Amino acid sequence: MTETIQPMYNWCEFAPTFGLVGLAVILLMADAFLPKFPKQAYAIAGAIGCAVAAYASAAGENLMDYFAALACVATGVCLLISYDYRKITCESVNGGLTQEGSGEFNILPLIATAGICALSKAQDLITLFVSLEVVTLSSYVLVGYYRRNQGSIEAGVKYLILGALSTGMLVFGAAWYFGMTGSFVLDPVIYAQALYGGEAHHPTIFLGFLMALCFLLFGAFFKVGAAPMHTWIPDVYQGAPTPISAFLAVSSKVAGFIALIVLLAPIAELSAALQAPITYLVTVMAVVGAATLLIGNLGAIPQTNAKRLLGYSSIGQAGFILAFFQGATCNVIDVIQYLLAYGLATLPAFCAIALIRRQRGSEEISAFRGLARTNPRLAFLITVCFASLAGVPLTAGFLVKLKAFIAILQANLSFAWMGWAMLIIMIICAAAGFYYYFKVIRAMYWEKPQAADTPISIPVSSGAIITICAILLIITGTMPLLYSYTF
Amino acid sequence: MLIWLILVPVMAAALIGLLKTPGKLTAVTSAVITLILATAAVFCDCCTTCGAPPTGTGFCQLTLGLPLSSIMLILTVLVTFAATLGLKAPNKDAERSWSISALLLSAGATGAFLSDSIISFYAFHELALIPTFVMIGYYGRGDRRTIAWTATLYLGLASMVLLAGLLMLCMSLNVWSFTDLRDTMQQLAQAGALLQNADSLLTLMSITGLLLIIGFGTLVSLFPFHSWAAPAYASAPTPVAMLHAGVLKKFGLYGLFTLAWAMGPLCPAFFGDWNNALLVLLLGNILWVGYVTVSRTRLDDMLGNSSVMHMGYLFLAFAVFIATEGQSELAFKGAALLMLAHGLTIAMLFLLTGQIESQTRTLELDSMGGLGQKLPKLGFLFGLAGLASIGLPLLANFPGEFSIFLSCFDGWTPGTGAVESGLTGTIASWFGGLGPVQLTLIFALWGLVISAIYMLRAFRRIFTGEVRLASERATSLSRTDILAAGFLAAFIVFFGILPTVFFN
Repeated sequence: MTETIQPMYNWCEFAPTFGLVGLAVILLMADAFLPKFPKQAYAIAGAIGCAVAAYASAAGENLMDYFAALACVATGVCLLISYDYRKITCESVNGGLTQEGSGEFNILPLIATAGICALSKAQDLITLFVSLEVVTLSSYVLVGYYRRNQGSIEAGVKYLILGALSTGMLVFGAAWYFGMTGSFVLDPVIYAQALYGGEAHHPTIFLGFLMALCFLLFGAFFKVGAAPMHTWIPDVYQGAPTPISAFLAVSSKVAGFIALIVLLAPIAELSAALQAPITYLVTVMAVVGAATLLIGNLGAIPQTNAKRLLGYSSIGQAGFILAFFQGATCNVIDVIQYLLAYGLATLPAFCAIALIRRQRGSEEISAFRGLARTNPRLAFLITVCFASLAGVPLTAGFLVKLKAFIAILQANLSFAWMGWAMLIIMIICAAAGFYYYFKVIRAMYWEKPQAADTPISIPVSSGAIITICAILLIITGTMPLLYSYTF
Repeated sequence: MLIWLILVPVMAAALIGLLKTPGKLTAVTSAVITLILATAAVFCDCCTTCGAPPTGTGFCQLTLGLPLSSIMLILTVLVTFAATLGLKAPNKDAERSWSISALLLSAGATGAFLSDSIISFYAFHELALIPTFVMIGYYGRGDRRTIAWTATLYLGLASMVLLAGLLMLCMSLNVWSFTDLRDTMQQLAQAGALLQNADSLLTLMSITGLLLIIGFGTLVSLFPFHSWAAPAYASAPTPVAMLHAGVLKKFGLYGLFTLAWAMGPLCPAFFGDWNNALLVLLLGNILWVGYVTVSRTRLDDMLGNSSVMHMGYLFLAFAVFIATEGQSELAFKGAALLMLAHGLTIAMLFLLTGQIESQTRTLELDSMGGLGQKLPKLGFLFGLAGLASIGLPLLANFPGEFSIFLSCFDGWTPGTGAVESGLTGTIASWFGGLGPVQLTLIFALWGLVISAIYMLRAFRRIFTGEVRLASERATSLSRTDILAAGFLAAFIVFFGILPTVFFN
């Protein structure tokens, strides 16, 4: 073995992580020692903290910092949704008489986000594992937080069991990784030694290393929601409190993609240097990508529950993002852009679901009925979000989906037919998307409101979230058209 | 500067939608601003950067440097002005929605016609399509849901095919703008040997060409993909019908011609294999749809079909342009003029149709009659537009149609005309060496007769004879109605007398 490669951590870079943890600890103390203090203030404080952390992250030089910034912003938005959702939180926690016990609900997302910020800096498996577990453990609590709500508890248990499985895979993969390489560091040199030799290279090491990598990837797939680790998503999104579903759909998914990029970046460097992709991994990624696309998009078609629909949608969108990883490379900027467009559309969608759940008491798609009559502007803004998810031109969703298609055509797959097969699958899935996302739009515009339906009153923060996101979707979808660019 | 041509209507639409400003007033203001801006950009030298092809990335990619951009921009702003000025909605809400959709249609069309980037060119078109569907589905006449759904399906699928074709084109050559495409194609043409050896590239080009013809063709209502068009125009609210039939439908032809221009002498490699099929299909447009038009009994339906029929001439120009390997300037310019003229004419006809309907509350040709006695000005304007649509000299359609007919003989000399082998060669030998294009022309000329029949017959039924019950209801036209139609009429006459204004 040549000299040991050590991770190079610059602790100043972890400032957002420590800042968020520090804020969370202060708020937890306040929650414990100031029982009379209004708990919803924690949501606001947390959102502000997230905004600061996002700003601090985005100031970094590394591309991965933008993932962290995105996750921070998304968590901040989730906390604002949770602020508007406080009444239901209190009801579901203690019957709605007091605010007791609802404090941590607004604080734990901060800890999870701190984990995501740390994850974006990970250079070795220990940091990767610990950060990912910080995210997962906080999420377990949050998903099952509504103890008076059967759905929430069921979702919590399901998430716990499947999450433990993925954690197991991660640990198993890390152990094999250490066994095969003698190191926890994720570095192209170590990858190259394990895959292509050096002294005392043995074919077993090659296979063992690939196995380790696959287990690690499957741990990341769990967070991403890629098949075959997607099974938790619809149930958990449906059962979890809506702000937490939004958190899982965006922040937690960002965490998954960070992990995926951290694991695959050395492979990408290696393939670029060798001018040849590592065939086994390419095949794994292609099969996983195709399966994710099909399961997510075709599974969404029969859904009637809006949160479940968004759950399948998040699987389907993850499938489109996986297009950027085909050929076992990763185009980081494209992934960020796609996640941004996805987040900008998904967060307001959950926000709207929360609004409607609060006032019409239902999370079914049919609860959106006649919104065009009662709240025409809200209906229009929601239309923009769902149109962007479907990939209608002039929204951000169109451009990023187009990039995904082009990425597939340019991908260096092991067999030419795989590219064409992926392309056909993607076309089918994009077409399916038009069907199921437009279910919500149809409910809003084509169905008549019932006699008892009053216009939805929109709190300032929710209104601001939905409006800003929709405007950003349109601006980011149209402004690039005015400028020249190539792919 | 060119950016404002898109941003002004979009901002005006946002004002109407979000701040509830008065619909028609805002729309007309925006239309006037874009009219002034566009005229300045095209005819004055005040915009030095507009004509130059955009360079590098990150800069504004809009340009007037493409050969058809200026003329289509002028068409767009003229029709937008008339459409917003002549807008007459049943109530305030409808007025707002109609204004918004007219403005978005105009912005989308402008963006498409000014785009140098091919993806932007495509995406702007969608901006214009979406309000069309919504407006037909919401405010259309007749069975509007079915009509909106049919149009959505047809145009949605066509857009997919078109996107596939454009992506194949862009990715196989790694060019993303019309200017780059032209540069690449010229290099390829100079290295001519390369092409003859690259069979797979030729196959790819040919498939790309087919996808483009089907995609663009459906958007322009090429026979047999035309059946969405006439019902959609007949059903759409007046401003939407004006802008869609007058301006937006030219998007497909604009795309075909601009791509063919950019491909230069290599355009037959893309479209050449399909040229004879295209000739047959365009005869379907001219003759088949022409006869269908004659049989229509509703005015809006008839005009919708007539608009489909006239697209045949433009496809003829395209076929000539391909057959002459991009050499025929006459076909190119003739098509440009006819696009402009047809846009103005059909927009004016739809505008007058809306006025007739609001006067008589019917569009059935049988139940009208003698309207000319009640509203002589309307009769005069309709007659003018109808005659222009037939192709009367000194009106705008004539120079375009005439150039296209003339161009069919570009590159053909009597007796020695290139006689091909195979079926086309055999047929050509029967007709004294006339090629497929020339033979098509012989049939296509009958379109003039057909359009004279239906247009004059419609005029006779509506405006002459004794005053029937429906015409009794007619009161009088408002001044803005006359102004909007007169505005278009003035330009129809102007471009009829001075067609060379765009080609010094």
